Amino acid sequence: MSGCALNEKEFFSCCQLLLQQSEHLRDGWSWEAVQGSEEGYLRKTVLRSVLADCYDAQKQKETASDSVSPVSAHPIQELQQQERTQPVVATRFHSDGIIGNDGDEDDAVCVLSEGSSHVLQYEYHILYSCSYSAPVLYFRAFTLEGRSLTLEDVWSSVHPNFRHCLQNSPLTAITQQEHPLLGQPFFMLHPCRTEEFMRPVLQEAQEQPRPVNYVLLWLSVVGPVVGLDVPLKYCTQLHPSSLQRSASDLMSSTVETGVRRFARKTCK
Amino acid sequence: MADDKDVLRDVWFGRIPTCFTLNQDEVTEREAEAYYLLLPRVSYLTLVTDKVKKHFLKVMRAEDVEEMWFEYEGTPLKWHYPIGVLFDLHASNSVLPWSITVHFKNFPDQDLLHCPSSSVIEAHFMSSIKEADALKHKSQVVNDMQKKDHKQLWMGLQNDKFDQFWAMNRKLMEYPTEEGGFRYIPFRIYQAMSDRPFIQKLFRPVSPEGNAYTLGDLLKEMYPAAITNDGEQKRYQVVIHGIEPLLETPLQWLSEHLSHPDNFLHICVVPTPSD
Repeated sequence: MSGCALNEKEFFSCCQLLLQQSEHLRDGWSWEAVQGSEEGYLRKTVLRSVLADCYDAQKQKETASDSVSPVSAHPIQELQQQERTQPVVATRFHSDGIIGNDGDEDDAVCVLSEGSSHVLQYEYHILYSCSYSAPVLYFRAFTLEGRSLTLEDVWSSVHPNFRHCLQNSPLTAITQQEHPLLGQPFFMLHPCRTEEFMRPVLQEAQEQPRPVNYVLLWLSVVGPVVGLDVPLKYCTQLHPSSLQRSASDLMSSTVETGVRRFARKTCK
Repeated sequence: MADDKDVLRDVWFGRIPTCFTLNQDEVTEREAEAYYLLLPRVSYLTLVTDKVKKHFLKVMRAEDVEEMWFEYEGTPLKWHYPIGVLFDLHASNSVLPWSITVHFKNFPDQDLLHCPSSSVIEAHFMSSIKEADALKHKSQVVNDMQKKDHKQLWMGLQNDKFDQFWAMNRKLMEYPTEEGGFRYIPFRIYQAMSDRPFIQKLFRPVSPEGNAYTLGDLLKEMYPAAITNDGEQKRYQVVIHGIEPLLETPLQWLSEHLSHPDNFLHICVVPTPSD
């Protein structure tokens, strides 16, 4: 890896590695090749339920507290591959950036009932930008009836910490763009700052005597911004058990650092 | 060089005579007349068609009007491509004026980006300039510019002010003399009969030995089918701003003089007309 830029061959190798891990974890990534060449992109489709009732309940319950904006209670819960044997619970974004359920009485935890949810299909693509020597995240979303989501609809799936920053900074914002290989409208997270925020993240990761998957690391930073989860297991499952704990520590601390640095860079 | 500066002006002031007709399925209160306009090759459809919209709104009710979009012979026209590129790609060998159909309903959101305001056009334009500079100068020149300089580029385009635009743009066209050219050439090759919207890859203007690469060299590498071999019949035309530059033209020169205001060299490969 030359500095913090990624060349196309490296991108391809990182993607193949990520694919292998995804297959083990059944995380749903696939490789779409262009005309039998090495050129292509990673692709994943996710079904996501949006709890309309819960959103309304949160709005009513709106407190004066700044730490959680009402819109942040908009829950996102992945439905893929799971049998729902129990009601789906709303998950909250906390102001310090950690996603999780908590037991505070103040939080309204809503239970999904049949008929109150909308299921959306999100499609994520990871392409390589030769202009920026970096991976780029493209995505689009549909209702199950086939209606495309607008940019306004999509904002609600953006991590609340980033929503404010991204709206003020058009070049790191989410914009509608033409997919460079398919020619169709997608949303894109602008890549021009990627090298900037990846540099410290990579340096920290490279201090550990272990090879780093640039694409995986990058995805774990930008993915959550647009509601794409990257399970910690990506880091641990190919390592011997003795290294498991340090690998996941590295992953979570790197992600946290990366998320904070990304927020700082985009909010300049 | 006086001649070269003339080329910059010719490129900037290129126009396409266009006839806008309302789609016959639109609901009107009386018959809509066609609207004629000279479109700047280097601008964008949604930036220069306010008059077109006003003209057709005169015969329509507000409830029948949604986002305006354009179509040529059944193909929705991508407003985010420069007008000249759309013409060269879809209509270069057809009779003038260019006949565009105007729609106010059934926006094809699987084909076209939305364009709710001119700030979306500005963001797109500036994003292209930034990307071009990432290729030419590792973004150093565009990042050294101030916000007001970026604004000047956009205002120059929006208000058709050649001097205002080039006062700033010339900085984006400079390079260290010892390099012989930009780091990489910002270009896109479009082919009408392709699923892929365009070809864009890394390509240096100068060889490691210091020789200038030509348009022909670029095509040989990126789209060899566009080159006619000796003895073959010419199947394709390689069109930039409505003309076919000689394949021997140095790529660096083309990038400096025939780029669009977005700093990209947009190259259309179209089938040679059969007659």
